[in-house]
Amino acid sequence: MQTTTTMASEAIMENGFEQEQVDETQALAGLFGFLARCLEEEADAALIDLIRGELRGPLAAAGLGFDEDFYHTPTATLVEALAEEYTGLFVAPGCVSPYASVVETGCMFKEPADRAAAAYRHAGLDYRNRLSGEFPDHIGTMLGFYAFLAEAEATARLAGDNERAEQYRTQRETFLLEQLAEWAPGWCRRAAEAALLPFYKRLLEMAEQALWSELEQRVERRRLRELAELNRREPKRLDYDADFRKASGL
Amino acid sequence: MSDSIKFTRRDFIKFGGAVGTAAGALGLTSSRLVAMEQELGGKDYSPTTGAERQAVPYTCMACNIEDGGVAYVENGRIVKLEGNMDHPNTRGKLCAKGNSGFLHVYDPDRIMTPLLRTGKRGEGKWKRISYDEATTLLASKLREVIDRANAEHKPEILNEMVFKWGRDRTGGAVGRFMHALGSNTMLNHTNICESSKKVGLEPTWGPDIESCDWANTKYILNFGSNVLETAYFMNPNAQRLVDGVVGNKAKLVSFDVRMSNTSGFADEAYFPYPGTDGAIALAMAHVIMNEGLYDADFIDNWTNVSARQLIDHLKPYTPEFAEEESGMAAKDIRRIAREFATTKPATTFSYRGPCKHVWGSYQEAAINMLNVITGNVEKKGGYCLPRGMGWPQPQPVPPKGKTASVIAAPPLYPLASHHVSTHAPYMIKKGEAKVSVWMTYYDNPVYTYPSSHVWKEMLSDENTVPFYASFSPYMSESTELADLIIPDVTYLERHDPESMPGGLYPCLSIRQPVIKPLGGTQEFRQTLIDVIRKVDPDGALGIKKYFAFNSVEDWMRAHFDAIPGLKEDGGWDFMKKKGVWPIYGEVDKETAKIVDKNGNEVEPDYGLYTKELSASDMAGAEVDNDGTIKKDGQAIGVQVNGRNMVGFGTPSRRMEIYKESYRKYGFNPLPVYKRLPSRDKKPDELVLTTYKVNVHTQSRTASLKYLAELYHKNPAWINPKTAAARGLSDGDLIRVTSPLGYIVTRAHVTEGIHPDVVAISTACGHSAYGRLAQLKQREQAADYMQGGDADIANNVWWNDKGVHPNPIIRLAVDPIGGSQGWYDTVVTVAKAQPGDKYGDTDVSVEASMKDYEETLRYAYTGDIHRAKHKEVDIDWNSLPEPELHGGGH
Repeated sequence: MQTTTTMASEAIMENGFEQEQVDETQALAGLFGFLARCLEEEADAALIDLIRGELRGPLAAAGLGFDEDFYHTPTATLVEALAEEYTGLFVAPGCVSPYASVVETGCMFKEPADRAAAAYRHAGLDYRNRLSGEFPDHIGTMLGFYAFLAEAEATARLAGDNERAEQYRTQRETFLLEQLAEWAPGWCRRAAEAALLPFYKRLLEMAEQALWSELEQRVERRRLRELAELNRREPKRLDYDADFRKASGL
Repeated sequence: MSDSIKFTRRDFIKFGGAVGTAAGALGLTSSRLVAMEQELGGKDYSPTTGAERQAVPYTCMACNIEDGGVAYVENGRIVKLEGNMDHPNTRGKLCAKGNSGFLHVYDPDRIMTPLLRTGKRGEGKWKRISYDEATTLLASKLREVIDRANAEHKPEILNEMVFKWGRDRTGGAVGRFMHALGSNTMLNHTNICESSKKVGLEPTWGPDIESCDWANTKYILNFGSNVLETAYFMNPNAQRLVDGVVGNKAKLVSFDVRMSNTSGFADEAYFPYPGTDGAIALAMAHVIMNEGLYDADFIDNWTNVSARQLIDHLKPYTPEFAEEESGMAAKDIRRIAREFATTKPATTFSYRGPCKHVWGSYQEAAINMLNVITGNVEKKGGYCLPRGMGWPQPQPVPPKGKTASVIAAPPLYPLASHHVSTHAPYMIKKGEAKVSVWMTYYDNPVYTYPSSHVWKEMLSDENTVPFYASFSPYMSESTELADLIIPDVTYLERHDPESMPGGLYPCLSIRQPVIKPLGGTQEFRQTLIDVIRKVDPDGALGIKKYFAFNSVEDWMRAHFDAIPGLKEDGGWDFMKKKGVWPIYGEVDKETAKIVDKNGNEVEPDYGLYTKELSASDMAGAEVDNDGTIKKDGQAIGVQVNGRNMVGFGTPSRRMEIYKESYRKYGFNPLPVYKRLPSRDKKPDELVLTTYKVNVHTQSRTASLKYLAELYHKNPAWINPKTAAARGLSDGDLIRVTSPLGYIVTRAHVTEGIHPDVVAISTACGHSAYGRLAQLKQREQAADYMQGGDADIANNVWWNDKGVHPNPIIRLAVDPIGGSQGWYDTVVTVAKAQPGDKYGDTDVSVEASMKDYEETLRYAYTGDIHRAKHKEVDIDWNSLPEPELHGGGH
């Protein structure tokens, strides 16, 4: 007995455009899932082995290569070095805080964290931190959620459930536009500038471009310019004239 | 043409003035508008939804005054803090620091997860780990020490586990932890705070501070305290001082080297030479005693001296002598002494100004004596004992360690009941004490101590301090040198029992998490439980039983559930609901007094020392010839005029103006004035003093943006005459040079400072403590500030973080109370030299080590001590030998 799902899958296979759409969505799931794993927590031996092994070719083909040291350093040593870099870059005081709340409000765990958690719940997911000090609006978690929605969309489409797939697509685009677009690419660029090791520098550059690439697909040019401006938010440097404000001018 | 009346502005003003005069008593105004905090205190509403916000009471710890607060919580976040109207001493008010406290919680520079050092010490390289991993690591380091002590049968090894705090408001948790481990090496911060005030007072009457009845007094002598802004119990004291001066028409006379806001508020302000308050107080006592203005009954009945004895002792301290020392005119000293003695009731208050000098204990004792001889002690409107409450410790309580710690209580300071923590790095560097594990809590000595560079050097040296664990949630100048950071939560997220004698109503209060610890962080108390359980997993060491709490809340219940009175009201559950106990009444909306249901003021109790002993108290008691009532060898009271009363907390149960404990070590048993070395400075030198400001603690608040915006730079105050003599103008770059080295800062030329003094505030010039404290975004925007606070990035208009003076301040300790002489450093001030940059600091560890040797010469075994105390009637060859002790008098 043939199930409805199987019949629908076959119907999709007959349609090349839709197959392309599924492939692309699955690729997005893979891309953002990879970035999420790299940014949400420290790299472990399994991730490093994956990057140095199975993913080395695909990453190189995409233009992301690391120096030879990365491929030849003993795994345990590399894990330690990357953990130190991760902590300095994303965790310790003075870091490039990876939370939307901090970028948008200057404080941890504010409304952007609620919005992210609500989006997760809407998709049937709960947020649970692994270590203290982690919140739902972490860039890594948010990219992981984007990947999850893409994967769910592709799966639904493969299953012939286009209505469901469209729901996921809408959720994904809404999440991108409402929760990531105004800060995440710019944050990736600034974090890349602050990174000391090529590993995070390259990954963050990749994440920035991946986000812009997604946005270019979904917003018109005028809005794109606005987003570029929003993502360029930089600390202002006031001209400093020591004599201008006398010491007693409290 | 209209026939309507034409008013001119002048008409309006004239009429308005007439209304004000005629109807002032009627108070013509809207009867609908009332002070917000008094009318609306206790409730708050969301401006968007109108929903009532959750109100959670707590006790503030933005600084150490411990005001009662209420946090308003909306959607699990703190949105506002205000005072707790049920707190009888702070009466619904918080200061600027308290109102800003929630910024601590959400500060992106807060440490949110344990960090393990990966680079060199102080290099800033870390790896995040879990609380479980962190507590396991600390426990293993502690266990190594315990195992070594047990293997070598040397309990003194346990003292290599060191715990140092700046603020310990845990209600006994730190002591429980350290005693469970078997170590007595606990270092507080009190000797850089007010310890010589405490040691000036404790042997006199028991407690370590006074609680003035400001609101009901008629005359106040304020010695060296900026009580309206900063001093101990600032918020409650400031409220009651204003009540007294404005509401009760009390006269305020203030003494300070600087025009503080308190001196600015005073009826009369005097600017004595630093360290001469004691001479003024003794001269006033001289006048009062010699002119017969004293309270003979009180002296006879309630002190251990006679009037004749005091008159003889005070003979040298004439107003003219005091004028010579202090610069205050003898005629003013005489007049004020007479006013103080004849205006009833009256009180003094004093804080760091007099006591933070070498021999500061004498100065405090001299000021205290003014209240005693005028009979103002424990009178309504007078100089009262502090009123605190205690709470029981959960059983079993671990015993103290078997061996006293040489750095916790240095043997050369036997009277210093609050110890001498400043000496620790010097003693350790000299090999007098060994450290294996150094732990810190609410502590930042690399910033807060005199000669702070010595602490930095010690904590940077892995040979001296092999393992350093900090419990700080902020990356302070000290914590950045740690090997392991196990961050505590902020004071709004944790439990503590509290009782501060901030007013005349004794009460208990609590700290409780007003929100769940942010992001799964863990409160310090839980960390202590976890560490102990890992040190002694199977209970074989006998330590685990002291931390057999199922939860932190269980621990708190053990403190509060069995207290008589509170138990009947609901114990811990009552405390969670109200935050404070007992509830004396409510704050009257007109008078701000505490009133009962009928609107009558609930008066505090006075005359505590006259409380009669009960028949059961007296059963088996004996009365000595001098009236002291003893039971089981302990003094429990004193018989005066046939009445058996509790008296004061001294061996004689009277106020001991004559301190035998002082004499035992060659100090003068009566209050005296000793001329400080800084009084003999060269004409071109100045005395460096520091001060706190109203919106900052010494170290912890510089990263809070509300407060940083209000105050962020600390130019050196210098008198116009002094500046002119050096060719300095306001804002000039200057070098301030002490024997330790120099700092480069700016001059603030003002009349509000003694011509022989240069004053620089604390709280500024951080090299750590977050991006705002350091103004990092101005220095390295591209490398540092990315992803930070857009508000800070865009709205920080100031570009000056100040310069910290502590590196050039010399170690100089009061040999009695052990207090650091913050105001004894002599400096030169001159225009900056070519190449000097604002903030440059160049100091010498070697020079500081020499200061350590020098200050030991003032200790009771030292040659300077002997030379300065020739008048003391003691066999100098039979002074007690220095010995390990717990510290005390």
